[in-house]
Amino acid sequence: MQHSLLPGALCAALLVPAATALADDADIAELRAELEAMRKQYETRIQQLERRLSDAERAARTAQPTARTGAVAQPMSAPLAPSPEQPTTKGASGAFGAVTAGSAFNPQISVILDGNYYQDDTDNGNGAALVGEAFTPGRGHGHAHGEDGHDHGGHAHSFAENGFNFREAELSFSATVDPYFDAAAYIAIDGDGNVELEEAYFDTRSLPYGLKVKGGKFLSDFGYANNQHPHQWDFVDQNLPYLNLLGFHGLQDTGLQLSWVPDLPFYARIGAEALQGDQEIFGATVSDEEQDELNLGSTNTGPRLFTAFAKVAPELGRNHALQLGLSYAHAEQHQEVHSHTHAVHDEHEHEDEAHEHEDEHEHEDDQGHAHNDGVTEELHQTGLGGNADLWGIDLVYKYDGGGAYGKGDFTFQTEYLRSTKDLTVRSSAHPEQIGSSRKLTTDGLYAQATYGFLPKWKAGLRYDILGLTNEVSGGRSESFGSSDRWTLDVTWNLSEFSQLRAQYAYNDILVAEDERERFSAFYVQFLMSLGTHGAHKF
Amino acid sequence: MKRRSLLLAALLATTLGVAPALALALDVVATSPSMGALVRTLASDANLTVLAGPDRNLHDLQAKPSMIRALRGADLVVAVGAELEVGWLPAASTSAANPAILPGRVGYFEAAAQVPLLDIGGSANRALGDVHPAGNPHVDLDPVRMARVAEALATRLGQLDAAGAARYRANARRFAEAVERRLPDWQARLGNAPGVVLYHRDAVYLLDRFGVPLLGTIEAVPGVPPSGRDLRKLTSELAGRQGVIVHAPYQSPRAPNKLGRDLGWPVRKLAMSPPLSADGNGYLSHIDAWVDAIAVAN
Repeated sequence: MQHSLLPGALCAALLVPAATALADDADIAELRAELEAMRKQYETRIQQLERRLSDAERAARTAQPTARTGAVAQPMSAPLAPSPEQPTTKGASGAFGAVTAGSAFNPQISVILDGNYYQDDTDNGNGAALVGEAFTPGRGHGHAHGEDGHDHGGHAHSFAENGFNFREAELSFSATVDPYFDAAAYIAIDGDGNVELEEAYFDTRSLPYGLKVKGGKFLSDFGYANNQHPHQWDFVDQNLPYLNLLGFHGLQDTGLQLSWVPDLPFYARIGAEALQGDQEIFGATVSDEEQDELNLGSTNTGPRLFTAFAKVAPELGRNHALQLGLSYAHAEQHQEVHSHTHAVHDEHEHEDEAHEHEDEHEHEDDQGHAHNDGVTEELHQTGLGGNADLWGIDLVYKYDGGGAYGKGDFTFQTEYLRSTKDLTVRSSAHPEQIGSSRKLTTDGLYAQATYGFLPKWKAGLRYDILGLTNEVSGGRSESFGSSDRWTLDVTWNLSEFSQLRAQYAYNDILVAEDERERFSAFYVQFLMSLGTHGAHKF
Repeated sequence: MKRRSLLLAALLATTLGVAPALALALDVVATSPSMGALVRTLASDANLTVLAGPDRNLHDLQAKPSMIRALRGADLVVAVGAELEVGWLPAASTSAANPAILPGRVGYFEAAAQVPLLDIGGSANRALGDVHPAGNPHVDLDPVRMARVAEALATRLGQLDAAGAARYRANARRFAEAVERRLPDWQARLGNAPGVVLYHRDAVYLLDRFGVPLLGTIEAVPGVPPSGRDLRKLTSELAGRQGVIVHAPYQSPRAPNKLGRDLGWPVRKLAMSPPLSADGNGYLSHIDAWVDAIAVAN
């Protein structure tokens, strides 16, 4: 636009003297001088305008204009950056920072959508729930606080039913708060609209000596899989030991974590956590009514759950990574209720050996009487209280195959968990048992591997087992075997932001004493990631 | 950390009346071999760790324990930047619990923040793939920009180690002069290069520098493999023309090879970065290799 002014003005100026051919030489010289002056004036103004335009464009396009003022064509003659005496002013201008697409001050936001189609061949299509409630002799029910409105007893929100399921939309927000803290919040909304705060924590960023403090509600760094959100798993569902020894959410609690990364020739990280202890399974306490009824005493003030963990990784070069971990958790208070029915003949003769464990849901039938061919079934509840310990070892190996879109990448991951509950019988239908101790030990293991067999395609195989050990001391100690499962899946990463997965599992789940369900379960899952680029954590 | 303990030792030595004759070698972590080459050129005595080899895609790495260990004791991290390492460097730096190397501190250096970027301000629409509106991050293939990055890096090293500041600056100038000496030759060889098809827009800075036309990319959108239709479209657009196809070691050779066969063009596999052990000269040889590959189509 500016360019057309100059030729236009020149044309007009030239046409005028051409028409006045009779003008004398002096007039012509004067006109020429004026024209020349005008031309120069226009040229300078146009140059100024062009410069201002390009400056404005550059400023608009770049977040850090001051870092980019160097002349590109002649870099060798460009002055050196400011001397070391003025680092702070340069820092404010952004040369120390990172070029990002993130808008200033807004937290990084992402939403992950996680839904599936599920089908199993059990009679009622409740296979996914059975997997999460596998029977072990040492398992009572001990879900926390009936009044918290979040029905962990039913687990209806967590487990897939035959057909379409929307597991959750996970909203995450993270940002650097100030020079001292980073913070993040993860909010999950399930298909029924239930909102759950998965994590909301701060993390220090300026402590010396490799120390970090994290506080708030967070997923514990116990073990390896524990701090992963469901969409980060290599399979649709959680492994058997985590699901049954820790619960759907793993060790997710409110508290404080201190960790230390020492400056060693190899990677190591050690840490400890003090947590409130609001747990579903490990370190759970029962409802107020049951505490009164079964003489279990009220829930102690927190923190009631303590963990410690250590991770070590030898140096194996750029393409291999191996990490070993050892974790321990101690719940200062653990309560559970074991219910079983006694078959009572009409002659009121006890048949002690004929008792049967009841599924925890059925204990609402607390009159406990059912008539059956002259035999009355009477529900007996035993209240147990004490503390619990959990040990975990984990091993993770990853190989970066270097192929296109993850082709050739291989991962292997295995963990062993062992839970020991040291409990005392506080109430029982058999008064002679009150005060006696019960030590309940259950363990579990999973091992899984994934391999990128084609660009963007990954196959996974998992074996998980619960109840390799089933010890109940101070009472009955029959073992009814373990629950286990083989899982195979194929994941298609269409891009970095979308995933489709098909998964088949053959389950052999102990649902009660000497009662097994063997079934196949099939999932098709989608995962969509909206917003900020996700982190590729180890 | 190592530096701090050395400082303590030096302090102790001084208080004991012993002259501190300790050279404080900087612990530097470079994300890629090209950044490592700059560090070697400027500060040959630095303890340097390069996190990724030239055969790996810097955008797709995962934060590994070994990276966290290297970052834990680092005085300076030298990244390409502009979100190229966004998937893993922030995660690894945060886990390393080393405040000195977080963005905004003297210990964080990003090449992309020191030079003007190309492809800025594109649509933030992921229907167009893994786009980065902040600008194309692959600045390290432009030797002229790298010379400028070297000067900025020399200043930064000087801020961390005042005793070596003059040496770092002199080395940066020497590197810039070496680039300048080679420029006419590169320009002459690429003067009438017919053009290049890339897999991804990862060598645009080099092409832009020497005015070599980018004839197309095999990926129709970044981060998504090409479909058969994308390839057919590219083939019909380029039929009858001359050019060369270049792809990185971590990009699938199948589509480039097919396109090369269909068009009768040479196909070259070239890394984005020089070898792991490269210094400034190694970097220049790497640019030579690229110039050779592109000029071969003449």
